[in-house]
Amino acid sequence: MFSVKPTKPTFKCYLPPVQTDVKKTIEPPIKKLEPKLLPGEIVVNEANFVRKCISAESSQDDLWGKLICTNFKVSFIPQDAPPKQKSQLSHLLLGEHDIPLTCLEQVVTVNDTKGKKKVLGSNKKLKFNPTELILYCKDLRIIRFCFDEAGPESAKKVCLAIGHYSHPADLQLLFGFEYQGRRYHESKGNNPFPGERVNGSTPRGGLQTPIFDCSSDWDRAIKRTGASEWRVCTINENYAISQSLPEFIVVPVSLADQDLKQYSLFFIDNRIPYWCWNHPNGCALVRMANISDPLQQKKIEQRIYTAITKSHPQRSEIFLSDVDKCLPNIQDIQTAFVKLRQICVVDPFEESDERWLSSIENSRWLEYVRAFLKHAADIIFYLDGKNASVILQEEEDRDLNCVVSSLVQLMLDPHYRSLIGFQSLVQKEWVMAGHRFLDRCNHLKKSDKEESPLFMMFLDCVWQMMNQYPAAFEFTEVYLIVLSDSMWIPLFSTFLFNSSKQRAQYLMDFAKNKAIPQGEDKVVYFPPVWDWLQQFTSKDLTLFNNPMYVGKGAACVQNGEVKTFRRTKQKTYSSTMRGASTSMRNGVKGAEDTLPRRSSLVSELKSDFSTVKDESPLERFFRDWFSRPADQQGLLIPLFMPSHVALWKLFFLRWVPEACIPRGGPIHTYHKLSQLVDEIELLQSQIRQYKGPSPSSTPLPSPGGPPFNQRRMYFKASSPHDPPTPPDFLTSTFPFSPMGNLCRRSTHGTPISKFLNGARIWLSTETLANDTV
Amino acid sequence: MEKSGSIDSLGSKRTSSRQPSVDSLSSTSTSRSDRSAQVKPSSAISSDSVSTSAEFSPELRMKPKTPAKVLRDSDKEEPQLLPNETVQDMALDVTYFCPFIGALRGTVTVTNYRLFFKCMDREPTFVLDLPLGVVSRVEKIGSASSRGDVSYGLVCKDMRNLRFAHKQMEDTLRKSIFEVLMKFAFPVSNGLQIFAFEYGQVFPENGWKVYDAVSEYKRQGIPNESWRITKVNDHYDLCDTYPSTLAVPVNIPDEELKRVAAFRAKGRIPVLSWIHPESQATVTRCSQPMVGVNGKRSKEDEKYLQAIMDANAQSHKLFIFDARPSVNAAANKMKGGGYESEDAYQNAELVFLDIHNIHVMRESLRKLKDVVYPNIEDSHWLSNLESTHWLEHIKLILAGALRIADKVESGKTSVVVHCSDGWDRTAQLTSLAMLMLDGYYRTIRGFEVLLEKEWLSFGHRFQLRIGHGDKNHTDADRSPVFIQFIDCVWQLTRQFPAAFEFNEYFLVTILEHLYSCLFGTFLCNSEQQRLKEEIPKRTVSLWSYINSQMEEFTNPLYVNYSNHVLFPVVSLRHLELWVGYYIRWNPRMRPQEPVHQRYKELLAKRAELQKRVDELQREMTNRSASSSSERPGSPTRSITPVQTFV
Repeated sequence: MFSVKPTKPTFKCYLPPVQTDVKKTIEPPIKKLEPKLLPGEIVVNEANFVRKCISAESSQDDLWGKLICTNFKVSFIPQDAPPKQKSQLSHLLLGEHDIPLTCLEQVVTVNDTKGKKKVLGSNKKLKFNPTELILYCKDLRIIRFCFDEAGPESAKKVCLAIGHYSHPADLQLLFGFEYQGRRYHESKGNNPFPGERVNGSTPRGGLQTPIFDCSSDWDRAIKRTGASEWRVCTINENYAISQSLPEFIVVPVSLADQDLKQYSLFFIDNRIPYWCWNHPNGCALVRMANISDPLQQKKIEQRIYTAITKSHPQRSEIFLSDVDKCLPNIQDIQTAFVKLRQICVVDPFEESDERWLSSIENSRWLEYVRAFLKHAADIIFYLDGKNASVILQEEEDRDLNCVVSSLVQLMLDPHYRSLIGFQSLVQKEWVMAGHRFLDRCNHLKKSDKEESPLFMMFLDCVWQMMNQYPAAFEFTEVYLIVLSDSMWIPLFSTFLFNSSKQRAQYLMDFAKNKAIPQGEDKVVYFPPVWDWLQQFTSKDLTLFNNPMYVGKGAACVQNGEVKTFRRTKQKTYSSTMRGASTSMRNGVKGAEDTLPRRSSLVSELKSDFSTVKDESPLERFFRDWFSRPADQQGLLIPLFMPSHVALWKLFFLRWVPEACIPRGGPIHTYHKLSQLVDEIELLQSQIRQYKGPSPSSTPLPSPGGPPFNQRRMYFKASSPHDPPTPPDFLTSTFPFSPMGNLCRRSTHGTPISKFLNGARIWLSTETLANDTV
Repeated sequence: MEKSGSIDSLGSKRTSSRQPSVDSLSSTSTSRSDRSAQVKPSSAISSDSVSTSAEFSPELRMKPKTPAKVLRDSDKEEPQLLPNETVQDMALDVTYFCPFIGALRGTVTVTNYRLFFKCMDREPTFVLDLPLGVVSRVEKIGSASSRGDVSYGLVCKDMRNLRFAHKQMEDTLRKSIFEVLMKFAFPVSNGLQIFAFEYGQVFPENGWKVYDAVSEYKRQGIPNESWRITKVNDHYDLCDTYPSTLAVPVNIPDEELKRVAAFRAKGRIPVLSWIHPESQATVTRCSQPMVGVNGKRSKEDEKYLQAIMDANAQSHKLFIFDARPSVNAAANKMKGGGYESEDAYQNAELVFLDIHNIHVMRESLRKLKDVVYPNIEDSHWLSNLESTHWLEHIKLILAGALRIADKVESGKTSVVVHCSDGWDRTAQLTSLAMLMLDGYYRTIRGFEVLLEKEWLSFGHRFQLRIGHGDKNHTDADRSPVFIQFIDCVWQLTRQFPAAFEFNEYFLVTILEHLYSCLFGTFLCNSEQQRLKEEIPKRTVSLWSYINSQMEEFTNPLYVNYSNHVLFPVVSLRHLELWVGYYIRWNPRMRPQEPVHQRYKELLAKRAELQKRVDELQREMTNRSASSSSERPGSPTRSITPVQTFV
């Protein structure tokens, strides 16, 4: 009775989007529910009279409309679109009810009356008519659709289509390869897409973030950090040496290309050690994979160390940190994330509240966050405190090293705490260093074993730093979350590939297939995520700006002295200080120089206070640093007592309706700060106008300041017309809304819901996948 | 993307407020970074602190006479004494075992107000300045050791323990300094006077005038057609733990009130705490009805509750919130108490809020102290915290208050709140609900009024719960009920960072002086006692100190939104341990309120820019006025705040 387009077994079905007209409608003027399609996007399947669940308690807020599966997204078009929520972050490429197919973690169909459920994948069959579809998303949303009024066949087909198309067989089938080709050609013509900006003549479409795919970006990094004893090496051009390293790497001046080529043979995937960053004191931060041949290990290591030592102005010692030994592995991290996700969004809210703290602890996520922060801080001790170059060694140098290396640089170098700097850091230490984004994100849903939220772990660590030093970062937590969400939108070149080489190959083939002229810049025809105007309006992008940021221009005068980037050690401790004479171990050694655990002293008087531990040099370094005021533009070490590490609420709880504080949350602080900074900037622009070239020609400058759309703050200076109560949209989840984005099945519902809750859907993906209905 | 700039800090000398050095232990959570030269050295601080920092000085910072002293106070052995503070004893060569640094050798001074330890061998000088009021118990630990040291332990009420040792006195007849300390730490047990009666500091404002019951009721619109002010308790005859001024339903005469009092525990009849300005729904408080095992009833009490319900035309229902777990409420019947049966109170609905009694709370805080002091164990932090149940209790209290506020605000229904006696959990619930409902109580003065009214005048037994100057540290009447309430307030400030006029420092200061015995505010158990002891006449109010330097306690982010009712999310997802209070002794704690600091810097920057804009404008106006005389100089324009331009 319902006309349904046949699903084709192949992904590419270039049928024009057929107008599935729902015939003989009951209500006279039914609105045509048209999906908003991107260039190259086509409708694969759809079902009408679908109900989107909004609240678990009652169905009165539920929305009726059309559920559509395209080759890019799952889309829901409500019959009576409710008024768009004010001041919510709106995506230019995705509607309020859209979910990109790559964002789907699991597609579950349920038949409530029969008590059946099935997890859908590619080419699956369904032996029952689904009454409900539950989409578990990678960005932690849980979206439910009910088919009580929809045609059973069309419901089944749209579910199967979603299951199928969310499991693409090949990377090239990801929608970005279709979209960016169309977009490129159309932008060469006129500019037909809203939010799309005509690329001017500026190189790389005006993108300011260094991509590190050319030697000049590396040269600049060397110059900026004063790493004069390091050079850009081109032996990996065309990936001649290593499949996973970038084409350009930075190496000690003292090593000739010939030597490097020879050494490369001994490293896993020929990943020779390469430079990341230089401390102003001359120390270098170097990354390295394991040496595959144990017989050669000593010899090769010795040569590498000698070369790195030579690149240090004082020929200072080297510290080797074996990150595999000190940190959780990628499976541990994945397990922790899955558990935490379960606690935060799946488990029923009230029931899980009682054991909330211990559940969080049991997930071990925060413990791992601490471990990474602590490890990075330990590295700081060697670089900054002991003036020693540091080599980060990991078996393949493509996972944990990315986190540690970028955290170390974030703590030491304020440049990376600016927006552009941060993006270049991700580009340098993740994208170019060969972090397997494709596998870790599991975009193709090929192997769950390879999936691991390492980048999320990094972003959480950054948030912890931000939480402790709120004025030190140019960007906000909203930026970090939007960045993490962008991982699940397959339109940007940043998160789609496992290596620089893979990216180059795919993009070359892509250019060929799409008739993109040779020599055209990849950044232009397949842009990275850093081109944020692809996704948001410039107004919405102001949510990235931290009003508290103390930027480079800030005078960091403390006690009358101008602080330089490097902290000077002026403090000496009296001889009564304990542990000052702890002998230092020297030479290359493992990273186990951690704080000795203090015994917990019970409050009763028995405890013996006299045995306060001897202090290690590392501990002393930290104590010394924490005893002085922090310079927002200098070294920043996070506090990592267990009580200092917090759950990142905006990220983990933004979709949870019960956790949303009406008219509350930290956003109110941001609101006030933004308004104040906006006022300040208006005043500054007024002063600039007064000081303009010919003051007599403009007697009284217009007090309006810069045009509205050029203002840097999302919230503008307050006016007398502001409401007497805090605006309703300013909830603790702003700029995200739980509305319709997280709908658990209520516990006291149907038998099936109990069954589903017991099944711990996300914990046992495999058993469920094997489950045949 | 737009090129984003940054606002650099104006007050650049303190770009960041950071926590004090690990070794200096200037530890109180709210390190003020503005250490102006006028600031007098610490005196009332119950904190380990560097002597140069004067965070908690109750002396006014506004005395311009004393410029920066050349001679640093830290060079002296003795503390800066308060008015009428006298040194009682001094001992050299005492060892203080700091749990964070280790053993420190120095001098101890004991006054009639404080213990003062100073270690001069260190740079910066280490100072421990402890009001004796925080000491809960002093104990000699073990016998003289082989080295001839005597060791003393001090357990404090403010989440820390201290340990000292000194050489055995050669002259065995001489009293040890700790015996002297015992005497002054527990003046009540030793027949001495609490220091608050001697401290004679004069402040510009008299804090005893902050609260006046009649004007507070007037602010709420009482008396009105349904509620009247009665003087029946003028001489505390009706109820000796209630205030003299009470608000009751208009149609219940004083004679009937007495009969109601006979049916309510300790005579604590239902009286009005707060009335909704629009719906007229009320929050009333009382003690449990004396139902007993036989299910006694009181016609007068039933009529009285009906009158409370009738006073609100919007609703034909009355909610009775019994703060206790139902089991406890039922158990109280054995002792003659109990709860309202729904048969007897026709239109009332009884709800139990499951909040535990003072003994459970005391135990919970004791466990919390074990978990946070002196050090936090690296592993199992969260499950250890969970096992104290402290946050769970906080959650239940806030949840109860939220239900009350919601019934009154959204349900437009009047509520009656009670526990057993109506001075612990009831005070927590009514004051928190009022804080959610009425923005006035979220101002500094409003909060003072709230404490004066719901806690002090309604007879929360501070003397018993805290045990001021009393050495009987095992007294079962002691309980952290008020601390718990302040913790709940802090939780609200975390969820609504712009809704409160006061900052965290304000809350910490209140708790500091809850124990310090420097001010008279928290002395005694009831209004009657306070009157008898002439507390307002003989002591200084904490509000005198606070209101004389309000800016110290002001939250810069405060927005005075009208009719803003707070509905917090009462879930452990949002409740946090108040690190800035419970873990403030740990020198590794997080720096406090860097956001507020930054906001203040930005405010200063705005002020400076506004000044420059005004100057430029004036210059411009003058110039144009001199060139073309038709334009009158408009100075008013220049003071227009920038907001109006937008």
